[in-house]
Amino acid sequence: MKDIHFKVNGKNVSVNCAPTKTLLDVLRDEFDLTGSKECCGKGECGSCTVLLDGVSVCSCLVLIGQIHDVSVITVEGIGLTSNMDVVQQAFVDEGATQCGYCTPGLIVSSRSFLDGINHVPTDDEVKTALGGNLCRCTGYTKIMKAVQTAARKQLTMEETTN
Amino acid sequence: MKVSEIEMISPQTVEECLYHLGEKDKTSRFIAGGTDAVVRMKDGAWLPDTWINIKQLDSLRYIKEEENGIHIGPLTTHTDIVHSGLLQKKADVLTAASKEVGAVQLQNMGTIGGNIATASPAGDTIPTLFVLDAQIELTSLMEKRIVPINEFFVGPGRTVQAQEEMITNIIIRPQTENEIGIFEKLGPRKAQSISIVNVAISLKMGEKSRECLGGKIAFGSVAPTIVRSEKCERMLTINPLHDEAIQDIAGAAWKEVMPISDVRASAKYRRSMASALLERGLYRLMKRWDER
Ligand SMILES: Cc1cc2nc3c(=O)[nH]c(=O)nc-3n(C[C@H](O)[C@H](O)[C@H](O)COP(=O)(O)OP(=O)(O)OC[C@H]3O[C@@H](n4cnc5c(N)ncnc54)[C@H](O)[C@@H]3O)c2cc1C
Ligand code: FES
Ligand code: FES
Repeated sequence: MKDIHFKVNGKNVSVNCAPTKTLLDVLRDEFDLTGSKECCGKGECGSCTVLLDGVSVCSCLVLIGQIHDVSVITVEGIGLTSNMDVVQQAFVDEGATQCGYCTPGLIVSSRSFLDGINHVPTDDEVKTALGGNLCRCTGYTKIMKAVQTAARKQLTMEETTN
Repeated sequence: MKVSEIEMISPQTVEECLYHLGEKDKTSRFIAGGTDAVVRMKDGAWLPDTWINIKQLDSLRYIKEEENGIHIGPLTTHTDIVHSGLLQKKADVLTAASKEVGAVQLQNMGTIGGNIATASPAGDTIPTLFVLDAQIELTSLMEKRIVPINEFFVGPGRTVQAQEEMITNIIIRPQTENEIGIFEKLGPRKAQSISIVNVAISLKMGEKSRECLGGKIAFGSVAPTIVRSEKCERMLTINPLHDEAIQDIAGAAWKEVMPISDVRASAKYRRSMASALLERGLYRLMKRWDER
């Protein structure tokens, strides 16, 4: 057992648990942040994607002992029903979600992708950026559209605030 | 040993790492990005007494040019490699390979040191390290030694690295002005897939149209360790690399590789694909060279 201090969605937190527990299990079991999902548990599907110091990772492959002092952002930190992020709103508007199991991971990956670019991405760019996130329901067309819609919205918002 | 009983330490210096690695009464293993380590811990294959966590060891995360070559710290992630201007310019074959490792999340987590130490015959950066004449620095409490990449791997998952040694530096040859490289990979899916066959190619080009002055070709996943394709390399300089010459070189590749059949592909398929990937890689390289 070990005491581990880190940040989740901007708040300082600590847990006392085995250092080999995955970040995903800690988020779900200890903090009740059940947005991040476990699907494959092996880094293949992206349903557990979170940001560590701003960088997207699979939380099913991160051991809690490895993230001392690190800042974690989960899908809940990106937005909740009351304050949805443009990406989340675009997923709703475009109908880019069916069973929803993949959606939180896709939202986190899309947010991270859009933070790094300043244009409306092409289909190929979206495919590369989201290649680590599997969806078994939608067939991806609406997901790609949602990411492009969010990018467009974000650009107009930036223009009006500048 | 149960997963929940495994301990973890997070040393702040290389010396501390080596000290813990040398402890005789316990088994220990490094964990960097964890993309191989955690998968194998969950499978029950890797259950050391202690994980030595080196993810935070920023002193081993660097890319810099020195007199004897480009030095890459083992904790450098694939994303770091993809974004490095120095490597894009002087080791394009390596940036191309890191771009093909897993998907974005895996590139953000996985390190070059982990890719080398895991020593999978399908490890994507490894063939590129052969064409860039990489040297691996291994450090223990007793000594530091440099092992050329072609002596580093012994078999699938096996290297000359001893239990008490750590990979502390990777030195590669910078490509020359007239040198261009490419990495080609065949996997079951575009992102996130383990290579069925991969190939790294780096060519030095001359003044005349498509004149090749020499080059290196290394295949992965077609034998227990990486295969340098010396016959194909010799053929590179015979004729300018127009379509017919490329097809001849690619045609010779199947004799150079010794693949096995496994769950991912048959030996016969791997052989044909080795030729096909080499052909595609050479076409693409020549197109890029013509358009430069
Ligand atoms: C879904 C998925 C897809 C993948 N796709 C690819 C792919 O396309 N291509 C590919 O090549 N690989 C792939 N991999 C494998 C893996 O991501 C890479 O090999 C990665 O580079 C490993 O780095 P790491 O830092 O995560 O290693 P870890 O898992 O942290 O460590 C791996 C091994 O290396 C040892 N080690 C790490 N650093 C050092 C050091 N400095 N000195 C000595 N030993 C050390 C560790 O002890 C351990 O034994 C994939 C893995 C997953 C889960
Ligand atoms: S659950 Fe983590 S990648 Fe699938
Ligand atoms: S909506 Fe069901 S897996 Fe994507």
